[in-house]
Amino acid sequence: MSENVYTLDRILGSEAPPEYHDDVNAGHYLPAPCQVACPVGTDAPSYLAYIWEEKWPEAFEAITATNPFSSICGRVCDAPCEPACRRAQSDGPVAIRNLKRIVMDRLGADFRPAPHPVTRKETVGVVGAGPAGLTAAHDLAVAGFEVHVYEATDRPGGMMAWGIPAFRLPQRVMQQDMDRLFQKCPGIRLHLNCSLGADVTLAGLKDRHDAVLLTLGAFHGKPMGIPGEAGNARVVDGVSFLRRINSGERPTLPGTVVVIGGGDVAMDACRSALRMPGCSTVKVIYRRGPDEIPARKDELHGAIAEKVEFVYQTQQEAIEDTGNGLVLHCVSTRMGDPDPKDGRRRPEVVPGSRHGIDCGMVIAAVGQETVSEHLGGIGLMDRDRVATDWETMRTRDPKVFAAGDGAFGGSTIVMAMSHGQRAAYYVRQFLDGIRDPLPYHTPHRTRRVKICSDIMWERYPRHEQAFHGLGENPAAFPEIESPYDVATARAEAARCYRCDAETGSEDYSVGHREDIFSMARTSPLDVAKKRAMLERRLVPRPNPFEEGRPATLDDLVFLPANLSRLVIDPYREACRADTDLGGRMDVPNPLFVGGFDRAPEQIFRAVAAGAGSAGAIYVGVRAPGVGVGWLQLLNDAGGTPSAEASGIIFDAGTGANACARVRDGQVLGVRICRAADVGSIVPLALEIGCDMVLLDGAGNQGGDWPELKAPPQLTLLCETIALLRRMKREEHIDIVWSGGVRSGTDAAKLIAMGAKAVIYGVAVAIAVGGEIGAGGTMRFTSQRSHEENAKAVENLLRAHLGEATMMARCTGKTRLHNLEPEDLRSITLASSAATGIPLTGTAA
Amino acid sequence: MQQIDLSRISVTEGNRLLRSLAEHEEVIEIINPDARHHIGVGLTTPVTVKIRGSAGYFCAGLSDGARFEVDSNVGWGLGDNIYAGTVVVGGNAGAIAGVAIRGAEIIVKGNIGSRSGQVMKAGTLLCCGNANFMAGYMMYGGRIIILGESGERVGEDMTGGDIYVAGKINSLGSDAQMTDLPAAELDGIREFLDRHEIAFSGSFRKIVNAGKKLRYGGVEPQVRPLPFFTFSDHADYWNPKVQEDIQIKALIGRYRIRGYGTARALPHISDLAFRRKIRPEAIEADVVGKVRMQTEIGGINGASPLKLTMPVMVAPMSYGALSASTKRAIGMASTLSGIAENTGEGGMSDAQRGAATQLIFQCLGGRLGWNIHDMKRANGLEIYISQGAKPGLGGQLMAKKVTPELARIRGIPAGIDLRSPSRHPDILGADDLVIKVQEFREATDYRLPVSVKLGAGRVRDDVKIAVKDGFDFIELDGMQGSTGAGSSEVIEYVGIPTLAAICEAIDALNEIGARDKVQLVLMGGLRDGIDAVKSLCLGADAVAFGTSAIIAGGCIACMQCHVGQCVTGIATQDPAHEARYKAETEARNIHRFFESVRWQIAAITRALGHDDVRQLGRTDLVALTPEAAAITGLPYEPEQQDAADAIAIRAN
Repeated sequence: MSENVYTLDRILGSEAPPEYHDDVNAGHYLPAPCQVACPVGTDAPSYLAYIWEEKWPEAFEAITATNPFSSICGRVCDAPCEPACRRAQSDGPVAIRNLKRIVMDRLGADFRPAPHPVTRKETVGVVGAGPAGLTAAHDLAVAGFEVHVYEATDRPGGMMAWGIPAFRLPQRVMQQDMDRLFQKCPGIRLHLNCSLGADVTLAGLKDRHDAVLLTLGAFHGKPMGIPGEAGNARVVDGVSFLRRINSGERPTLPGTVVVIGGGDVAMDACRSALRMPGCSTVKVIYRRGPDEIPARKDELHGAIAEKVEFVYQTQQEAIEDTGNGLVLHCVSTRMGDPDPKDGRRRPEVVPGSRHGIDCGMVIAAVGQETVSEHLGGIGLMDRDRVATDWETMRTRDPKVFAAGDGAFGGSTIVMAMSHGQRAAYYVRQFLDGIRDPLPYHTPHRTRRVKICSDIMWERYPRHEQAFHGLGENPAAFPEIESPYDVATARAEAARCYRCDAETGSEDYSVGHREDIFSMARTSPLDVAKKRAMLERRLVPRPNPFEEGRPATLDDLVFLPANLSRLVIDPYREACRADTDLGGRMDVPNPLFVGGFDRAPEQIFRAVAAGAGSAGAIYVGVRAPGVGVGWLQLLNDAGGTPSAEASGIIFDAGTGANACARVRDGQVLGVRICRAADVGSIVPLALEIGCDMVLLDGAGNQGGDWPELKAPPQLTLLCETIALLRRMKREEHIDIVWSGGVRSGTDAAKLIAMGAKAVIYGVAVAIAVGGEIGAGGTMRFTSQRSHEENAKAVENLLRAHLGEATMMARCTGKTRLHNLEPEDLRSITLASSAATGIPLTGTAA
Repeated sequence: MQQIDLSRISVTEGNRLLRSLAEHEEVIEIINPDARHHIGVGLTTPVTVKIRGSAGYFCAGLSDGARFEVDSNVGWGLGDNIYAGTVVVGGNAGAIAGVAIRGAEIIVKGNIGSRSGQVMKAGTLLCCGNANFMAGYMMYGGRIIILGESGERVGEDMTGGDIYVAGKINSLGSDAQMTDLPAAELDGIREFLDRHEIAFSGSFRKIVNAGKKLRYGGVEPQVRPLPFFTFSDHADYWNPKVQEDIQIKALIGRYRIRGYGTARALPHISDLAFRRKIRPEAIEADVVGKVRMQTEIGGINGASPLKLTMPVMVAPMSYGALSASTKRAIGMASTLSGIAENTGEGGMSDAQRGAATQLIFQCLGGRLGWNIHDMKRANGLEIYISQGAKPGLGGQLMAKKVTPELARIRGIPAGIDLRSPSRHPDILGADDLVIKVQEFREATDYRLPVSVKLGAGRVRDDVKIAVKDGFDFIELDGMQGSTGAGSSEVIEYVGIPTLAAICEAIDALNEIGARDKVQLVLMGGLRDGIDAVKSLCLGADAVAFGTSAIIAGGCIACMQCHVGQCVTGIATQDPAHEARYKAETEARNIHRFFESVRWQIAAITRALGHDDVRQLGRTDLVALTPEAAAITGLPYEPEQQDAADAIAIRAN
């Protein structure tokens, strides 16, 4: 796991200017390591999740939000996100870069973003149309400024255009990004072939614009500084060589070409040389070993796969021109002590190791520099860079800012882009007249995309793109890799851990988890981090049980048997659930089904069949059919009591005289929907010899699926029980509960509180594919067969019976109906007050 | 032949004498045994012991390699967990003869009591008379030979092994079936009888597992968890989690299973605050050196205590739920930080023992991996009664994780969906536990602390019983504790929160004036030194970290532990996945987490004006929520909460 994510900044958090799109303080989110590692803060977890969902436009938005060169980055980004990926330590990082490519390939070419008009009167001059300059121009244009970009060459892109060969980055791909940029930012005015010093002067730009940003790049290759180099046409620098190639030339090269250096320019140069006519052998000379070579591993492996030779631990000393070729005189090296400055081990010369390498051409890719006599003349240069203060991005001239390679030395595209963003921020603050701006930090956003549920996510290996190498016609620069197909892309995207997303556990939320990660990556000696972490950890959580929270079944827990009661093995030992209703009806278990009288006919039939298979009673107006127990519900609209029914339940409003069995042995019941009716109806029910009361906790709210309208009113149950206790008639009438029963656990709680049986309505509807809509509606759109639906009902009821009896066994009961209120505790005061069940931990 | 006369010395003295005499004697005679318990317990020398009379409970228990001959009868638990050797009983044996044996040959000439051979793993148990009910209950391997009647429900829930019955089979147990008896096996029985000079010429019938309950039917779809706020807090009554549960249960027809602890918010120890304002910026850099944190756990009854450099331990987690590499990493980290590690259910591997300097060895009802040799090399013994995540349920390990290697250590068949018994064969009530604790002490000569792991339920009652049973300390696990696999409903709705658990425990001990009779180690959802200090203030002697330690070592909290293909190589037995886990690297991370905890404990203790963690007390705390105030009885001072609300979202 990348340790550099766990810096003090991550612990401290940071204050962001209000105009930021920054979600780090929004809760339930912390930027993932990949997002932190991305210099432009790309919301990679979100776009990976969108890819899995095949939501290409959404993925596109997530990618392009902070990155105007997304197509380019999808191919040639240095991808610091990938080594930071937590899965890198496991079975290889998620291929974040390649996944970006497939999104851009699918949507990029024709996509036209909405333009951001110019809204500000101030204008900004930007010198250099490379990644830093254009990114800054983008941010400033989006903020409403008119931005004039002055580019010395004939095309925008800087090193993206001139430094990267087309086999890695086809011209059309770059053009797509440029087209989108200028479409989105009509306020950007591009002035090509306009060189600072020759065509414009800094003074002129300062006159013309309210601020100037210098993003000159590092366009010139550094010399090696060895004898025989200067003035030899067979010795060129890497960037000049690549510039020739990218301008379209395909020069015939000698048979053997030597490239000196181990960076990305060296990789592009060696691979380009190998594709040129005449060249058969390319050797890369690098003064350290294969473990130290700084080139991105993909490119290194690509070069090796294309048969570029790597000569490690070798340092050039001189070049000798033999007339028809060159001899590169070298010495061998070995790794010495670490450099105190950068910690890298220094190569030492092996005595007596001088040797020569014959070749026809030497390409020196040993670094780049910025050259500007114009700026040097006015004192803005510091050796080969524009003197720039990182904290403000200002040069020595207060109206002039600088960024990118020209200000801070050669780096990557994405780093140059982040410089552009940073510079744009400070330029904007300057133009807004803010003298002491909040320090810039890369904003981090999340789109809170659902975590994908691909069952193979833990097992998929990293997928690589198909590699084609040189191709049949190398000089035509066919693309070296082809993108994933959609299935592969989805599988690769599914590998994401989703470090950004909230977990399923309040105790180990993403915030807690990341704090623990931080604590585990803090040196015992790092007191500053320890203090900061303590400060952060001392902040209490908001009260999860705010005032006004209603009483709910969720706030009740069961007390398990341990030592003071004998444990019943829930995996094996029996727990009886057989239920005697009113002394008149024996049913296998107390889990009933009801509420489907007005459901679509095929749903009603499937529910009845499933209930019958599970031994469940149907409670309702309609008869469920042969083989299924039926408690007939007579609603307030009346209805005729049926002799077929095992029991008849009258509405509370029915007159006492009308409440009667139509045959002997039927269960007689009355339905109560409001707590206010309990005091009058319950005594009446006892008086007329009812066997049961149906307590409808969902209330008589009219319409279908009343359970969806509001949580069940537990007071109805509690008041009924309390009244029966006061009357000492608890044993004389059974309570059947309806309303908000979602699980076997809910059923067990209601039974412990005094219900004899419970009725599932909405839960069963969901089991048969019911979808809850707005306003408490239920839609059945599933195309499942009658058998499948009936099986689903049976399965749900069996699962719930398993859960209910598991609860009973955990409390030490061998009979579900032996559960009692004393087996419960409340975890909130509100639920305790409403149910009379003591708060946990208190001396009850 | 040497004699030991138990009318003159205690069983403990007798057992010590037996062990020392066994070093050079071949036969030792025990006279006047008087049916006393624990005779011969823990003997691991090849010697013959002749017991002249009757022995009580656990005769020859936890022994290895000796031969015991008992002239008359024995009480229950004959040969408990015996590894190898021979036991011959001339008369009858009580209940659970041959319980949890891992080898050896046990011959009872008379009848045997109920549940004989319960959870046995290997070896032979011969009953020459009749067996009582449920012979072979939950046995995993080995063979039981019954020359007389089988008793009712023979082979009840057996997983492996063979039962041979010559007499009447009264009834078959659940998931047991009759099968053919191959000639070679019959020859083996005859050889066994001949060798032990038992004349018998009758025929046998064979009973084996019927295989109906070894694996769950249907596969639960693997779904990554919904964010917790979508189903708790202000979420709808019929929220997405409720709907997902219903849809999946409608598919599989049984309860769902997952890893981790409670998902929703419960009253938590973090709903308390310190009475004094802690100013982290003012804490001295070397604060760790200024606070006394060394804590001894387990020594209050004379055993050699665990010596902790701070009042912190690792919570019990099994090799099985976790990969071997993970257990090794945790062990290394515990050593680096000078605290104690715990084996959990899965037995003790050499790697675990080697990695952890102080290691508690846990004994569960299935006696998986339990044996005398690992007991002797442990630093503490622990009887698991239940765990906070799923009190009332036994351990659960899905077949994917029950590899041959793991099955070997646990002594069970590979590839079953292992659902450990939730009850100990020999602990049906509190009084049994007294005798069990004594057996462990006898076996290890009173050298090791013996603790109990309790999931929090009726803590007020349970803790009082634990004191009576003579435990040195209680590992009290609130319902926020995690598990590698459990019923999601039980994880969510059975047990009480850790905060309530510690309060009830302290209340109960104070009620009976026994606060100094047992030590309390609190666990279940504790995450940092702040939680630890608050626990100590409430009265815990130490705390334990489980999930937090796992997270420190790279767990991403995806809650898919039960699936067995853990993406980080932690909760898996798949070699390809385990290879992803870098034990040395993660050991260092876990160690640094513990060191962060240490620094936090020291910093807060010092900021509260103390220089010793033992000075922390309730007066250092206030409650931030009405629930926390009601549960703890601490003053309700929400002002601190109000001040913090503005920034609380950041820590969320």
